[in-house]
Amino acid sequence: MDLLEYQAKEWFREIGIPVLPSQRIDRPRDLKGLKIPYPVVLKSQVRTGGRGKAGGVKIVTNTIDAIAAAQAIFNLPILGEFPEVLLAEAKYNSDREFYLAIVIDAVARRPLLLGSTQGGIDVESNPEALQQVVVERDFSPFYARRLAVKMGLQGEALASVSAIVEKMYGLFVQKDLDLIEINPLGVSSTGELMALDGKVTVNDQAIARHPDILAMAEKNASRSNGRSPLAQVGKWNEVDKSGNIAVLGNGAGLLMATLDLIAEASHKNPAVCLNVGHGRIVADAGLSFCDRVVQGLEFITQDKSIHAILVNILCSVPTTVEVAEAIANFVQHESKTHKTRTHLQHPRLVVRLAGTDLDTAKAQLDAVQVVSSENLDEAIAQVVRFAKSPSPRRSSE
Amino acid sequence: MKLKPDSKVLIQGMAASLSSPYITRMQAYGTQIVAAVSPGEGGSSNNLPVFDLVEQAVAEVGAIDTTIIFVPPYQALDAAQEAIASGIKQIIITSAGVPPLDMVRLLRKAEANETIILGPNSPGIIIPGKLLLGTHASEFYTPGAIGLVSRSTTLTYEIALELTKAGLGQSIGVSIGSDAIIGSSFLQWLQILDEDETTEAIVLVGEPGGNSEEAAARYIAEAIDKPVIAYIAGCHAPAGKHWGHTGTLAAVVGRGDNVGTAKSKLEAFKAAKVPIAERPSQIPELVKKALKRK
Repeated sequence: MDLLEYQAKEWFREIGIPVLPSQRIDRPRDLKGLKIPYPVVLKSQVRTGGRGKAGGVKIVTNTIDAIAAAQAIFNLPILGEFPEVLLAEAKYNSDREFYLAIVIDAVARRPLLLGSTQGGIDVESNPEALQQVVVERDFSPFYARRLAVKMGLQGEALASVSAIVEKMYGLFVQKDLDLIEINPLGVSSTGELMALDGKVTVNDQAIARHPDILAMAEKNASRSNGRSPLAQVGKWNEVDKSGNIAVLGNGAGLLMATLDLIAEASHKNPAVCLNVGHGRIVADAGLSFCDRVVQGLEFITQDKSIHAILVNILCSVPTTVEVAEAIANFVQHESKTHKTRTHLQHPRLVVRLAGTDLDTAKAQLDAVQVVSSENLDEAIAQVVRFAKSPSPRRSSE
Repeated sequence: MKLKPDSKVLIQGMAASLSSPYITRMQAYGTQIVAAVSPGEGGSSNNLPVFDLVEQAVAEVGAIDTTIIFVPPYQALDAAQEAIASGIKQIIITSAGVPPLDMVRLLRKAEANETIILGPNSPGIIIPGKLLLGTHASEFYTPGAIGLVSRSTTLTYEIALELTKAGLGQSIGVSIGSDAIIGSSFLQWLQILDEDETTEAIVLVGEPGGNSEEAAARYIAEAIDKPVIAYIAGCHAPAGKHWGHTGTLAAVVGRGDNVGTAKSKLEAFKAAKVPIAERPSQIPELVKKALKRK
């Protein structure tokens, strides 16, 4: 989960990383009660980068200008995202701009400290200036000093920059972060340091063990208006809005392989992929594997743009027979429901099951006229054929 | 890695009956499960003695070769540390969603104690016909000479099924796990498979995210003598989506946009002259070709 700049800076302030006086602006008239002296920088609080170039950052010198600028920023989407809030912040004159970050290096399997004396927007164009230190063993401040020395810092700057890295590391561990970044870290002519922008990504898997972060995540989720099934059903991925095939499978790798096969057979990606997970993973909510499959199908079936569904499941716990039975029950139930509204027919369903007792499983699906195959390539060819044939939904009964 | 059929195996975490169907399957496969540990559930279950602590189990049944951890993800670090404290040298973590910083702590400790960690989010290891350590669905496998190493679970079954149907049995099937930070790497398993006497060819199955496939490709070119076939899933998957696998955790600040993409992995295998299958069903034919050339 990505934090907004003002949220990141609240954490910075709490742990003692220097930030400018600032105020959160929920609506333009909040600027009438501004406690920071002008000039003030108004910054759009969106999660995407490049907001300065897009016009999401404005310097203002009086209340009238500030309100007008705030109205403009509130109405400016940046890469499709409208800001919920703005940050009003004191203006700062930096002499130089540094870059500092901590991430986890998946190959070293250790936290990685990153630093450059060429920060700001230049950091990506100067990769050779970016210094790295792997935190091999338990963290100790010398790792931060090692980074500062590699960055070429001396004297007071060495001490002050490594002190900030140390605090960043504290947050990184305390809050289970994937990323903490200060860019730019402003350096004034007197050598004072100031975190002018901050980026923090909390590891999604760790959120549930931090009540404060969980509350933030729940607030975000209630705000997003995207259409997706309940989280306990599985992981929902919208792939291609123009696609008309949905794939429901058990396992991310398997879904990716299935997606590739569909893309190659039809020259188009599927519309959505739903990963219901494998039997090994049991959600806290306690939905059984078969429940997840059925609820996933119910959800996908509501989408009128889907012409064909491929279910691709390899399993042993539960058995293919149990899964086939659940799907057959679903199909029967749906067709009963739809007798009253005949214009709404099912998207065509292809079921690919692999495991033991396939004959029994297949017989169950045959009984409700659902096409099934153990062979993946065959199942792909079939679902692509269904997707290309005219939509069965328009058929007049 | 000690992978003998008579290896002594411990199960950690029997609560919520999650592990019991897998215990039954492992027992049926002949795996020597000697005890289980489930705090507060001491007694017996699945014809197994159940202990509250790993050290109690070790005191009762003697040294243990491998433990398989089935606890909820936030308890995995603790369970693995308990195993290390009791001198267990091979740990398989099936739990999915272990926080990366827990894994960092665990791996620091494991390396210092020369302990191998497989996973997390791994179905474990199968030696078809001989040994099942974990949750692999054994019906997709058949004994043979092809080593199979991947990062996922069901996609591994898919490949095993393709090989089995083509008459190519497997020597070992292993998934290194789909979480972002994992223990043993492709490199370690390539080395194990290269040294394994039964294995004649290796199939490596990768997917977008991280750069372990790239590292594997370089290692194959330098150090692996046996033929290797690669397959990468997710070539058409939109970038940045992690599909429930968090192995894509970027950690790539300042390293360019191509890091971790399927394209970058394909290029790495091409550069290492490793034949690449375009789809799972093409793997057997490439394996047969490679074996003939040997």
